[in-house]
Amino acid sequence: MKEIQQIPVAQASRTNPFARVFDELTAFCRSRSMFMLHYCTGCGAIELPPAMTSRFDMERLGIQPMVSPRQADILLITGYVSVKTLKRVILTYEQMASPKYVIGICSCTVNGGMYWQSYATAKKLNDYMPVDMYIAGCMPRPEAVIEGLRGLMERVRTGEANGWEDYYRRYDYYLGHQQRLFGEAWQTPTNVIQEAEHYGLAGPETEGEHTALLRQHQQPLEPLEMRIGLKERV
Amino acid sequence: MSGGEGSKALGPILRDVKGAHITSTRPRRSRVDLPADALPALLELLKGRAGFVHLSAISCVDWMDDGQFELVYHVWSYEMSMMVSAHIRIPREPGVYLSVYDLYHPAAFFERDIHEMYGLYFEGSPDMEKFILTEWDGPPPMRKDFDSEAWVNDHFDWQDYRPEWLQELEEDGGGIAIRPDEQRFSRRK
Repeated sequence: MKEIQQIPVAQASRTNPFARVFDELTAFCRSRSMFMLHYCTGCGAIELPPAMTSRFDMERLGIQPMVSPRQADILLITGYVSVKTLKRVILTYEQMASPKYVIGICSCTVNGGMYWQSYATAKKLNDYMPVDMYIAGCMPRPEAVIEGLRGLMERVRTGEANGWEDYYRRYDYYLGHQQRLFGEAWQTPTNVIQEAEHYGLAGPETEGEHTALLRQHQQPLEPLEMRIGLKERV
Repeated sequence: MSGGEGSKALGPILRDVKGAHITSTRPRRSRVDLPADALPALLELLKGRAGFVHLSAISCVDWMDDGQFELVYHVWSYEMSMMVSAHIRIPREPGVYLSVYDLYHPAAFFERDIHEMYGLYFEGSPDMEKFILTEWDGPPPMRKDFDSEAWVNDHFDWQDYRPEWLQELEEDGGGIAIRPDEQRFSRRK
């Protein structure tokens, strides 16, 4: 597969010989301005403040925290993801604009870590969403975090970090794992299939038995019920 | 106040409770074992006559082999600076007990928690809905008969990690002495 990808193919749609220059420039700029989402899932998040502040100073690499998923490029999964958190993580991931990258920090995201026996902790993060980079350790030092982020920057620059494309291409696979954990009626507010078509990434594996199941159960989204005050006791 | 004195002070108060057995475990800490139906009377006496107004916690122990749940009510008196733990045993099936919400309002939270984690039902508790495990559809996970590992193996996949360097080591007769899947407790039998 890799050999096939490496064969240079002249793209018919592009006639401008300088087009690739701009692609490279875009990729370079993209790799130098990484906004990471301020969503800390587990204990590994405690290594991020030192990585961000004066001693290690992540911002000199162009990496800075961002509060909303709409403006973020990187989703850091710092530590264990419980099944309950995983739902929210997936919702957040789907809200992020492409291209988006996922970094799994700590051993828990790789194989459950010290929570391998816990009924509530998801073990393999890349079953549920594509992970571009794992930083193992319990917990990894800020040096390791920065090393990992630099690795991701390099992969973004060379165009290797394309997990988000994989999510669109093989949505059925990821959805299958999500449904296994959350039940058949699991749905997100994001219409991933339509997004895949929008990005031109919808392939043969985008839809399948799991997306068919999703279509079967999909309900139109309604605003959440808001209540002021406590529930009345009977 | 020494522990002995604390127990002595409790003695006359608890004389009316049938079958209550007081032991002083540590200074300012007493343990009362009593039959399950006598617990509301005990708590009422403790609260009304001895100022045990603070219910610190209700804890639950699953004695699966005895077919019983043990409920421990920890109450604290600010006046006596003393903790009393009231231990009762109730049958595991059907696992129903009375709520002490009318005596101690914080009990609602503890009872809700125990209901969620052990499947015990408290009659008269204001809210027995799910609290932490809102999206949980399995059996109550803190019961001894819930096999956490079997659940994990059933619901999650493991990442295979067989890097080349490890395979080389294994070919030379080295490597991991006990493989993780053999280490897992549930598979030891």
